[in-house]
Formats: sequence, C-alpha cells, structure tokens
Amino acid sequence: MEIPIVLQPILTLLAAAILVPVISFIGKALKSEKIREIFAVSGFIVAFYKVFILYEAVMSTPGHVIKYDLSGYGPPFGVVFTVDLLSVFMAFLFCGLGTMAAIFSVRYMEEDSGLDKYYALLCTMVAGMVGVVFAGDFFNFFVFWETMCISSYVLVAFRTGRWEPIEAGFKYLVMSTFGTLLVLYAMSLLYGLTGTLNFAYMAQAISSTSAASPVLYFILGLMIVGFGVSASIAPFHTWLPDAHPAAPSPISALLSGVVIKAGVYALCRISFLIFPLIHFHWGILIGIISVLTMTVGNILALWQNDVKRLLAYSSIAQIGYILVGVAAGTQLGLTGTIFHIFNHALMKGAAFLCAGAFIYRAETRMLHELSGIGRRMPISTITLSIALFGLIGMPPLNGFISKLILFTSAFLSPGMVWLAVAGVVNSAISAAYYLRFIVVLIRHEPAGKIAMFKEAPITMLAPICVMAAFIILFGIWPQPILDFAQEAAASLLRPEAYISAVRGGL
Amino acid sequence: MFSEVNWYLITAMILCLIGVYGMVIKRNAIRIVIGIEILTSGIHLNFIALGVAVSPTQIVDVLAQTIVILSIVIGACVATVALMFIIQAYRHYGTIDVRRLRRLRW
Repeated sequence: MEIPIVLQPILTLLAAAILVPVISFIGKALKSEKIREIFAVSGFIVAFYKVFILYEAVMSTPGHVIKYDLSGYGPPFGVVFTVDLLSVFMAFLFCGLGTMAAIFSVRYMEEDSGLDKYYALLCTMVAGMVGVVFAGDFFNFFVFWETMCISSYVLVAFRTGRWEPIEAGFKYLVMSTFGTLLVLYAMSLLYGLTGTLNFAYMAQAISSTSAASPVLYFILGLMIVGFGVSASIAPFHTWLPDAHPAAPSPISALLSGVVIKAGVYALCRISFLIFPLIHFHWGILIGIISVLTMTVGNILALWQNDVKRLLAYSSIAQIGYILVGVAAGTQLGLTGTIFHIFNHALMKGAAFLCAGAFIYRAETRMLHELSGIGRRMPISTITLSIALFGLIGMPPLNGFISKLILFTSAFLSPGMVWLAVAGVVNSAISAAYYLRFIVVLIRHEPAGKIAMFKEAPITMLAPICVMAAFIILFGIWPQPILDFAQEAAASLLRPEAYISAVRGGL
Repeated sequence: MFSEVNWYLITAMILCLIGVYGMVIKRNAIRIVIGIEILTSGIHLNFIALGVAVSPTQIVDVLAQTIVILSIVIGACVATVALMFIIQAYRHYGTIDVRRLRRLRW
C-alpha cells in the first residue's frame, strides 16, 4: 500500500520516534556509538525531504491546495488533511529547525541519561507541529496540538534532577492546558453553531449567516486567548520566560523558534478562514495586543542577567512584531508576518544554540559570569552577534527586511500608523539589551577559569554556522523566501480556494 | 425557545467556571489538576449536549462523541504528566503547595 504524500512527513517522524529506542538497543548490542543520534538526525532530514516532495505536489495542483481524506468518509465528518502553501512553509521551518536542534543535541545532551526518550519526544514534538499545520478540521488539529504540547511539557522538564525545570514545566503545563481547553470550549460552541468540525464547512456556514452575533465574538475571544497563551501574547506570556530557559538549549531553540509560531499559525488560520476580517474587525484588537506584547517583552528583557531568560523575553517582543502584520491584515502585512516567522526561527534558533554552546563550556547562564568568554570562543560569539544584529534589524541581515515590510504595512493601513511607530520605538529599545549582551561577552580579557576555555565542538558549531550563513544569505538575497512568503500570504487571504478545494468545487 | 439542551449547556458552563476557579484560586497542586479535569468534563458535556442539538434527525451526531472519547484519552495523558511533575516537585520541596514553589520569578 502506498502511503499518501500528505501523511509522509508526519509518519516519517512518528516512525522515527517509535524506532529510536529499538535502534538504540541494537546500537548498544553492537557497541556502536551514536547510532541513535545519527538515526534521529536522518529521520528529520528525511522528513524535510518529504515536505519538499509535498511542496512540489502542492505547486503542481491548481489552486495550490491539496486535500486528503484519512478515512473513507467525506469532509464534513471524516478526518481531513488540507495542505496549502502556508502549511508547507511552516512545515519546512519545523523540519529544518528540528534537524538543526537534533544535530546540536548530539554533543550537548551526551552527558544526560534517558536519551532514547529525549530523541523520541523531539520527533513527536515536530510531528505534532507538522500535523497542526496540515490539519483540515478541529478534530485532527486538537490531537496534533496536544501531541506537540505534551511532548514539549516533558522536554522542558527533561532534566528532572534540578528544581527549575520541574517548576517551569508545571507552570507551562497548567497555563498551556488552560489555553488549549479554552480553544476546545470554543470548538464545542462552534460545533454547536455549525454542526461540523471541518474548517472549510465551518467557514462556509458562518459566512452564510448574515450578522456577526455576540456568540461569535465570544468564540473569537476564546480562540484568541487560547491560542494567545501558546503564542505567548502579552497578558498570557508569563510561562515563557520560565519554561524556555529551563529547557535544554536545543529544546529552547525549538520552543522559541517554532512552537510559539504554531500558536501564531493557528491564530492566523482560524481568524482569516472562519472569522473574516471584513465582518469581524478584530484588526484593532490584535494591534493593541501586539503593541502590549512587544513593549512588555522589550522592557522586561532590559532587566535580565540570565542569558537564556533575556532571549526568552526577546521572543515575546518578536511575537509582538509578528502580530503587526496580522493586525494590518493586508497582503503586504501577512507577507511580512510569514517572512518574520521564518527569520525569527532562524535568528532565535541560532541565538539559543550559541547560548547553549557557552553554557556547555561555562556551565552558567549568568551574563556577568560569561564576561570575556567571547575572546576564547570566537566562532560562537561571531555567530551569536550575527543572530542578535538580525534580531535588532540591522540592514544587511534578514531581520531588517521583514521588519521593514511589517512596519511599512502598518504605515500603509488606515488607522494603523501608531502600530508602526510603536514597532520602530520598540526596535530601538531592544537594541539596548542585545548590544549589552555582545559587549559583555567581548569587552574584558577573560579572567579565572574562562581563560582556559576552548571553542565549542564541531557538531555544535556546524548547525550554528549554517544558520548564521542563512541569516546573512537571506538578508542579501531575500527574493526566494519573500516570493514563497508572498504566495503563502495570498493563500491565507484567499479562503475561497481553500474552501472550494475541501468542498469539491461547490 | 428555551429548549431542554440549554439546561445541559448551562450546567456545562457552570462546570467550566468551577474548573477555572480551581485552576486560578487553589494553591494545592493536586487541586489545580482536579480543576483541569473539571474544566475538561464541562467541555465534554457541552460537546455531547450540542451533538444532540445539532442533529436534524433523532440520531445523535457521532462526531461529538468521537472527539469526547479522544479528548478523554488526551486528558489522561495531561493528567499523568501533571502528576509526574507534582511527584518530582514533592521530592524537591516536601510540599505540593504552589506558593512554596516560589524560586521562579512570576
């Protein structure tokens, strides 16, 4: 039996998750080192390749939407996968950053025990995220969402020997479950109104009812809050600065780079497909949330002395920038949003992995204890500087282009000029803590034990350097990603194509 | 028209509110997990009741029951992970009072 092309990336990762303990057992019997790690990394690479095949299939389909029914039943009741260009874009990002994190983990995690579980959970987490972006109905969506969430709770608290991961993991679990349950409640109400769980049929049913009733606004509010907890928008961000630093560094990179983006994706998909902007006018609300999120993230990041905590707060700020484009709701704004999602995954992933390289050598996360380490670990420091300059939005790097698009889109939308101003002011504030970070690392000659440190091992440097190279490359030559982001934004703004693909051209 | 289904929906909402209360106000970690479970149960009741309501015929919609069964399984996973965290926290602190878990800056 041939496996359908839509399921291949997800099934590859799930199969890898199941086979990791088996391979590890065989590896122990054969006394061959690292076979488990090689297997996990190759699983991610194969999944990336499968996404690429899927991308070509989507591009060759008219309307650029592929629908696949999992069971024999049709769309209103059966389980449906719907893949459009936005889904493929996100899946590329998840599998790509997953590969980098897995390669980095080979040396970073080698001292830990229970690595079978670690790599299996890494695979299920990425499989859950890919499933979230491929899901075509709430049923499917919910299952993959929880797969992703449960894997990340356990991965945050992977090092159970210390107090911090346990506490952070429990806090993350309680807040994230609360968000998910709000979404589930909203789902049940939407199901009661429309009689279906399929996105496309739901959108059709809601657009056919004329007025936007208070119940629908209530549901929209529940959805925004629920996904907002996962995406760490401002009043619900408090779990993020605890959970992300407490996790092992490759997991921090994945959590900050892509898991919170899954929340943003869900917010975009639901709000653009089911609650069209022209009927529901949620743009101004998202705008206010966006300004609040970026301000809170940037102001609190100024205070931090913990390297990973600083980067975690900066993630909150970046989510604020990403929401600017959603608030504008135009083609340009969404292009900026999707492009910035890509760039932030690259930059924050690289920054967390570099921080991980320092922590691997120095075994401390305090910034003042890392003073001068940059002179002993030059490659890590240079790549970290590239990532941080990108996060500030320095011109030759990719962060500049996406921020420029985002703020331009806010400037061009009527009544959204304040959003662009807030974004620019916040970017200026953010430069303060990023630059302080770099200065502390390189300013003084290292003292004490730091003077003896060597550069990080090659399997850690390789993913970091590749990501830094991409940051520079897509800053100078953004055209391929920009075109892709433009088409993905267009597919988000064209719900008719999505709906007609699922309903079969009605 | 105030149909029979509304009683179920109101009960479900009350259950949800009790669950949220348990999650937000209570300081005992086990009670927080119980709050999560009550909130989940409220949502399940909502689904089942609406599954009866949306069906045009007398037959109950199977979709709602399917997602509820699935959600029960997922809820069990979440509860397991949460209780695992509580056991670990108890080993570190000797208490399950979340006010004592204060070393994180909230």
